[in-house]
Formats: sequence, C-alpha cells, structure tokens
Amino acid sequence: MPHFILDGKEIQFIQGQTIIEAAAKVGIDIPHFCWHPSLTVSGNCRVCLVEIEKMPKLAIACSTLASDGMVVNTNSVKALSARNAVMEFLLINHPLDCPICDEAGECKLQDYAFDHSVGESRFVENKVHKEKRVSLGTHVMFDGERCISCSRCIRFCDEIAGVNELTFINRGDKVTIDTFPGKELSNPYSLCVTDICPVGALTSKDFRFKSRVWDMSSTKTICSGCSRGCNVEMWVRNNEILRLTPRYNEEVNSYWMCDEGRLNTFKSVNADIRVNGPHIKRDGTLVKAGWDEVFALATSELKSYNKSEIAVLGSAFATCEENFVLAKFAKSVLGIKNIDFAKHEKPNSGDDILIRDDKSPNSFGAELAGIHPLKDGLNFQNIMRAIDEKKIKALYLVEDDLVSLDEDYKKILSKLELFIVHSSNFNSTTELADIVFPAATYAEKNGTWINFQGRIQKLLPAVMTVEMDRSLDGMAMSRLDKFGTEFDRWGKSKKMNARPIWKIITSLANALGTKYKYQTSEEIFDEMSKTIDLFKGLDYQRVGELGVKLNVTTLAKVKV
Amino acid sequence: MSIWLQILISLVQILFTASIILVTVAYLVYFERKISAWAQNRIGPNRVGPYGLLQPFADVLKLFFKEDIVPHAANKPIHTLAPILALVIALSTFAVIPIGPPIYIFDLKIPLVVADVNMGILYILALTSVGVYAITFSGWSSGSKYSLLGGIRSSAQMISYEISMGFSIAGVLIFSESLRPMEIVNSQAGFMWNAFVQPIGFITFVVAAFAETNRLPFDLPEAEPELVGGYHTEYSSMKFAAFFLAEYANMIIAAGLIVTLYLGGWQIPYIENLGLSYTLTTSLQILGFFVKMAAVLFFIIWVRWSLPRFRYDQLMNIGWKVMFPLSLLNLIWVAILVMLMN
Amino acid sequence: MAKKKRLKDLSLLEQIYLPEIVKGLALTMKNMFKPSFTMEYPEVKFEPGASYRGRPVLVMEENGDERCVACGLCSRVCPAIAIEVQANDTDKEKERYPERFEINMLRCIFCGFCEEVCPEEAIIMSKDYELAYTNREDGILGLDKLLVPVSELQERIQFLRKYK
Repeated sequence: MPHFILDGKEIQFIQGQTIIEAAAKVGIDIPHFCWHPSLTVSGNCRVCLVEIEKMPKLAIACSTLASDGMVVNTNSVKALSARNAVMEFLLINHPLDCPICDEAGECKLQDYAFDHSVGESRFVENKVHKEKRVSLGTHVMFDGERCISCSRCIRFCDEIAGVNELTFINRGDKVTIDTFPGKELSNPYSLCVTDICPVGALTSKDFRFKSRVWDMSSTKTICSGCSRGCNVEMWVRNNEILRLTPRYNEEVNSYWMCDEGRLNTFKSVNADIRVNGPHIKRDGTLVKAGWDEVFALATSELKSYNKSEIAVLGSAFATCEENFVLAKFAKSVLGIKNIDFAKHEKPNSGDDILIRDDKSPNSFGAELAGIHPLKDGLNFQNIMRAIDEKKIKALYLVEDDLVSLDEDYKKILSKLELFIVHSSNFNSTTELADIVFPAATYAEKNGTWINFQGRIQKLLPAVMTVEMDRSLDGMAMSRLDKFGTEFDRWGKSKKMNARPIWKIITSLANALGTKYKYQTSEEIFDEMSKTIDLFKGLDYQRVGELGVKLNVTTLAKVKV
Repeated sequence: MSIWLQILISLVQILFTASIILVTVAYLVYFERKISAWAQNRIGPNRVGPYGLLQPFADVLKLFFKEDIVPHAANKPIHTLAPILALVIALSTFAVIPIGPPIYIFDLKIPLVVADVNMGILYILALTSVGVYAITFSGWSSGSKYSLLGGIRSSAQMISYEISMGFSIAGVLIFSESLRPMEIVNSQAGFMWNAFVQPIGFITFVVAAFAETNRLPFDLPEAEPELVGGYHTEYSSMKFAAFFLAEYANMIIAAGLIVTLYLGGWQIPYIENLGLSYTLTTSLQILGFFVKMAAVLFFIIWVRWSLPRFRYDQLMNIGWKVMFPLSLLNLIWVAILVMLMN
Repeated sequence: MAKKKRLKDLSLLEQIYLPEIVKGLALTMKNMFKPSFTMEYPEVKFEPGASYRGRPVLVMEENGDERCVACGLCSRVCPAIAIEVQANDTDKEKERYPERFEINMLRCIFCGFCEEVCPEEAIIMSKDYELAYTNREDGILGLDKLLVPVSELQERIQFLRKYK
C-alpha cells in the first residue's frame, strides 16, 4: 500500500485520496474550513496549507492528491506562518461577535483562532459591514458579516439536497451568500447547512438564542421521525430538549438529517399536554389517580373479559423490549391471540435521501419482538372490525394514536367496554380511553429500535422522569446538572410522572399473578437475545452507539 | 449575745458577701470586655443600656432562656453536679476573707468577715483543692474528648501550681504566726506589706493564683483553639453560666487573697496617724480594700489581653522548674528575715 | 524576615522573662488610650472605594435599556454558578437581550469574574454590601433588582478601564 510521511508519521492511503482525507482516515485533523468529507473539494479557505518537500510553494491539503513517498509538514515554520496569515485574513472582516453568536462554543473559526492564530490583528481600517439578519428560508437565519465564504452550504444544497438554492453574489470583500432569485432555502434538509457552516453565519431559527451550547448536555440517541432512524445528538438543558443535531453514521444518515425530524419530533416530549401520572375515566373525563389504584382497576377489569374478547395492540413507536414484554404478557398472562400493531405509512412521502414512507421508527422491531397475530388470531384490520362488531370488548393499546391514522377509528373505539392506553401525550385516542397509563417518551428510556435496513440501534434517556436521576442513571450531564441543587431555579425542572411500557406491564403481570422480574430494559434485551434467533449474541454493549445490522438474509424471511 | 442574733448577723453577712460577689462578677465580665476592647482599639459593649452597662444582665437573660443540652454519652448526675460544685466552692471561699476592721453597731462588735475562723488559710487551701473536682467531674462526665482533655489538663495544672502556692503562703504564715486572715492583715500594718517584705513569694503566689483560676496565660483547660471550650464544651444554658460565674468568682477570690496576704488587706498605711474618727477610718479602710482588689482584678484582666497562652510543656516547665524552686527560695529568705528580726 | 531567636540566643534579662512581660503589658496599656477604629455600623455606614467588589449589578443605559447582550459568559465563568441567563431575540441593533437574568446572591462569592469576562462592560460589581435575605427566593435577584443606571456606576467603570 502506498504511503506518505505526515509530520514524521507514516500514513497509508489509497490511490486517489487527498492528503487531508488520508490524514482524516487515521484520525489526524488538518485545519480546514471549506473541506467536508461528504462534499466536493472547493479549496477556497486556504487554511489547510501544508508544506510538501520538493514543492516550490505551499499546497492545500484538501485538493492535493497524496502520492507515494511524499513528505508533508503541517507544523513547519512556513506552514504555521501561512496558517496564521490565513487566519488573520479571515478575521479581518469577521465581526468577532461571539458573545451574541449561537455558534460560539462549537465554532471552527473560534477554535482555530485559539489554536492557530497569533491573537492580534494588525487591521486598523473599518470592517466591511453586511446584512446581519437575513432570513434564507423558513428555518435558517443568515448573518453576512460572519460568513467566511467557504461555500459549504452552497455545495450541500447542490450535491446532497440536490436543489440549487444558494449561491455567492458580488465580488471581493463584498461577496455574500444569497438564494437564487425567486427561490428560498426550503429543501427538507435545509438545517443541515447550519451544522456544516464552520462559523455562525447560518443558524437555526428554531434554536436561535435558546441556549449556549456549553450549558446543554448531549445524548447520543435516535431520531423518532421515520423508519430511517437517523443517529442524533439530543441537546438538553434544564431537563428540556432544545435541539437535535445529526450524529455521523455512514450506514444510516451520514452527516445529515431532515428538518422534519430535527424540529418536530422532540417537541412532543416538552409539550404541555404530556400525560403526567396515571389517569382514570370518571364521569366522562379523565382524572388523575394513583399508580396502585390504577393497577388494581386494570387487573380487575382485564380479568372480567373472555380471552377472545380482548385484543392487544403493540406499537411501532415503542422499543423492541417493550413490545417483547407486551407480547409475552398478552400471550402468557392474558392468554390471547389477537395481537398486532398499526402501521404508520404515508405513501410517497419519502425521498431518495433519508426520509422514509414509514413514519414509525420501529415497525421492524415490533414485528420481531413478537407483535403479530398468533395462529387463528386477528390482525390489526380484523381487530378493528371485531371491535366495530362488538366481538372484541377490551383493547389494550400502547403508545399509538390510532385516531390520527383514521378519523373513523374514533367511532369504532368508542364502542369498547374497556380501553386501556399507554400514552405519553393526551390526544384524541386517549380521550376515548378508560385508563391511561403515562408512557415515558423515547427520550426518557433505554431501549432499541430497528430501522428499515434491519439495523438495531440504541436509545438513551436524555430527559428525566420523576423516577429517574441524571447521575444515578448514568445520563449525560451538563455543568448545571452536576452542580445544581433543589434550591436553584434552574434545578427545579419539569419532570413527568411516567414509566416505560415494560415497567408498567411488569407491574400489571405481577398484579395478575405472574411474576416478572425485569428491573431494566437491558435485562429484557438479554432475554430477547436468548429467545429470538436474529438477536443471538447481541447485547447493549455490542449494539453500541452506531448500532448493529441484523443478519439480512435471515431478515428477508421475516415478512414485514 | 444570743445565738439567734449571731445567726442573723451571719445570714446578713452571707447575703451581703454573696450579692457583692455576684454583682462584681457581672461587672467584672463587663469590664473584661471593655478593657479588652480598649486594648485592641475597639469600643466594646455599648448597646444595652447607657455605655452598655446592662450588657451583663442581657447576657444572663440570654443564657437563662437557652436550651439546656445534655450530651447523650454524659453521666447525667455528675454532669449536673459539676457546675453546682464549682459555684458553691467559689462562693464559699470568700467567707474567710476580711474586708475591713471590725465595726460596732449598738455596741455589737461585728467582724467584717463571714467566718473569722482561726484556720482560714487552711480552709481556703482545702476549698480550692476541691475546686479541681468540679472541673474534673465536668470533664469526665461530659462524655466528650475535648472536655476530658480539658479536665485532665486542669487537674495536672492545679496540682503543679498548688505546691508553689502552698510554699508562698507558708512564707506569709511564718511572718504572721497565725492562720487567721485577720491576724495576717494585722501583721502587715504600716508598709510591712508582704509584697514588699517577700517579693519573690508575692510573684510566685500571683503566678500560682493565675494558674489556679485558669486565667490566661494559664487557661489551658479551656484553650479554645485546641479544645473547643475544654471542660465546659458540653455545657449550655445556666449550667454553663454557673461555670462562667464560678470562674469569675474565683478571680475575685484570688484578688481578695492577694490583697489579704500580700497587699496589707484593708490596711491603709499610717491612716491612724491622721486622727480621723473611728467610723471614717473604718469606712476608708473598707474602701481601701475594694480599691486594692479592683487594682488586682484590673491587673488580671490586663495580663489576659497582653500575654499569649503557654504551651503545655512550658506550663509544666515553669511550674516545676521555676516556680517551685523560687517559692523554696522565698521560704529560706523569710526564715533568714525572721531569724534576723529576732 | 528577622532571624528566629532560639532559647539559647536569649540574653539573661530576656530569659528571666519578667521584663518582657512588663514590655507587653506596657504595650497594651499604651493602646488603651488610643482612639478606637470601630465603625458603629447601622448608624455609620462604610463607604467602599472603587476597588470594592459588592453585589454584581447590570448596567442600565440612559435610555433605560440593559447593556447586556445575554452572551452567558458571566454565567459560564461564574465558579459558583450563581448566574442564570436566558437570551432572546430583539429588533434592536444588539440582536440579543436577556429575557431573564438572575443572580443567586446565596451562591455568589463576589469574585468579580463576571465583571472581568463581560465583553460589554454590562455587569459591574457595585458597592452594595447590605445583602441579607429572610428566605431563599429573595436571594435570587432578577432584572428588576439588577439594573442600575450607568451614571451611578461611573466610579467603578473608570476604575476598571484604568486597571483591568
């Protein structure tokens, strides 16, 4: 394999790789602004200048192909002074308004100014002033002064989103970014430009001035928006989710995620209409009740129906573990055969980039965990029909808003004699329920989801319920979380009285006389890896941050 | 003189002496704070009453309303007994200190001393020895290491310094040829004060008196930086007040003893030569006693705010290697004097 | 530093110790007649100099606006985590303003880091040292209590410009 020398270190590369690529592969970071591993090379920022022996001038590492035996220096006097000079040039017209810039703390320019700059400017003339508050689209705000014209956003729109929306206008120091006439930055991936913008020129309107990045904790988890299951970081301050950012996973979402997933999936966790504590219907309205009271009621009610009169609906939004415990509960404790879950497909809503038709994150997992009708059991459509015909009188539903699927279900579900729902938020389905268990959201529990590729990925809790503790449960903690007390206003965060489905089912099974001993979601997963072939040999550690693809050949046989 | 009249006179004397001590203690505390403030360029108590004069009463009232806390590990009866013992001993020691020559009311000769006993000095030595028990008891019964250490230090200190104190007093007794405090005072007529006749004895006695009353620079039993509060660490409310009272009462007694034994008691040199009436002379003499005592008390306080505390080894060094030989030396000096005078 | 005197270095007179005691007594006696330094607080109030670091306050411009841009640097640098800032959007030139700015005086240690780090000279250590509260909530000061007109803070601002 060919190799070259980088700062005295031998680095192997594949023919055709640039110096910066080959270095990045082995974890060496050569300073760069305009270069991005997923975008074409532009070579305009000049900060990656390196000294190559036997070359008369410095070369940019991002567009110089590595060749065998090349000797590259990033820290030679020449390279260093060139980098300092580039930084000085870049900072000439940069407003240095870090105090009011949302990018501060995760800004490449800030970092490099710290690492590679002399710290003083010799520029005494007036800076060029540009528009500071330009709305480029529904979600993105543009600050012309901060822009260093690296063209990453332009290349993203052209190459990844596949729409030509952004371009440079004007020349020289007046150059700035704008949308093409009559166009807006409105592609479904527009917020990705705020991620790749190396400075604070492009920022999210949704997150604008919400929080400094260092005040938040970040948790590596999965987006719940569709069956893609994009890897994300969930940023939380004061027990409230403030933003999601994509997390690199080449197999699933690369560096990107869609605006829909980024903006609209976590809001239900922060919503005011969360189910806080168990509820029972009394005189037509849902009223709060104690856990023990609700368990007692649910047990006695469930006991009063024939096995054929009960149906259980799992959920493509619940985790594999929860669906597994639910299926086990339905089969062995309730002894019923009518088990299924509702699909949430929106035909033709997906695209070729990331967005999928299936709007639920775990339909694969629900199926695999055992949520499917047993022999002679009814499937979802037939269960609904049976309810309509009053053959099925009791329905146990977890984490699914059936009425949102079809308004007609409202009429059907109201025919039920007993309707138990696990739900994280109040919605038109819970209105019809007799008992509502508060369900912990995907941001409040451990568990796994399986995406459309058959990749099992792990959820981590980022938000506390009343039964959780950030430090004891090993959740991500910000500085405020670490040092806050109950006497600080920012320590008094909103916490929901909610439990993951498996925990409630475990209590219910115990109340019905079958001892379940699950203490954590991981214990359930370990049991699954013993009983389900596809999960064999897996545990949470092996699933890890990036997930594991299940055996596809076997997977094909499972019909979904 | 009927027995009832004697009892009545004694009771009046006791009441008078006790109230004098208590009031003096109160204002001694006040002046201690004032003097310390002056020495440190501060103002001192000035909030309660004019010039803060009511401060002692406010303090007592505060202590009175405080919760009485007894530690779980304490030996309760002895924990309660100790402060009472301390106070009783402190108050009863004053019984043998004469504050003036006998006075005559309706031809009744009333000695200005509660008990004009012929072994008064022995009585004082005996009582001060018992005083150690109060501190040792409190230290042991509190069930706290600070208290225990304070108690142990206190007993060691008292035993060490009682020897030089005893020898110093012996010098005085050889001179006066009596154990009766009245006689001792009488023997110091004119300028024959023991302080001048046997200065070494005077110094050793004063130093021993400081040590016996646990005053700085000898306050090791309650050394705050080391022992929190020493033997009274675990005391609160009025029990603490009793110790506090006893400590200051002991100071007054020490001052009274110094005046009686070394500074001529109530004697004012050559006052009888002025030809004043008996009543006036007596009054002046009583006043003289109190003025002398006040001076000594001021000196005790003044020393406290000037000198730092000794280390424990220094304390023992001085006690055994300096004070004890000095007091022996004093005894020899007195013996020589007596021989020469005869 | 003066050389430490050991016991063996002492002269006979010093070893006797009594003269030294008399010296000490004389010193305290001398001091008893000197005037006292005590300031009788509630009646007489201490007026601190410009270098004094009292309660941190926010500068209010002449037009009534706060100077703060809610950058949160004070909050970040605060070693006691006494400051909480919530920024929001404004149409004014500064773009960003503190929607909520709270200093928990029960946490504050008066180190002055917030003042030092502030890029806008917007948080200033005032001379206010009378900070007693009867409950925890009162100790958390919001914008209403924090904003102080810039004219009242000139002395400290001048001091900072000179020495910071």
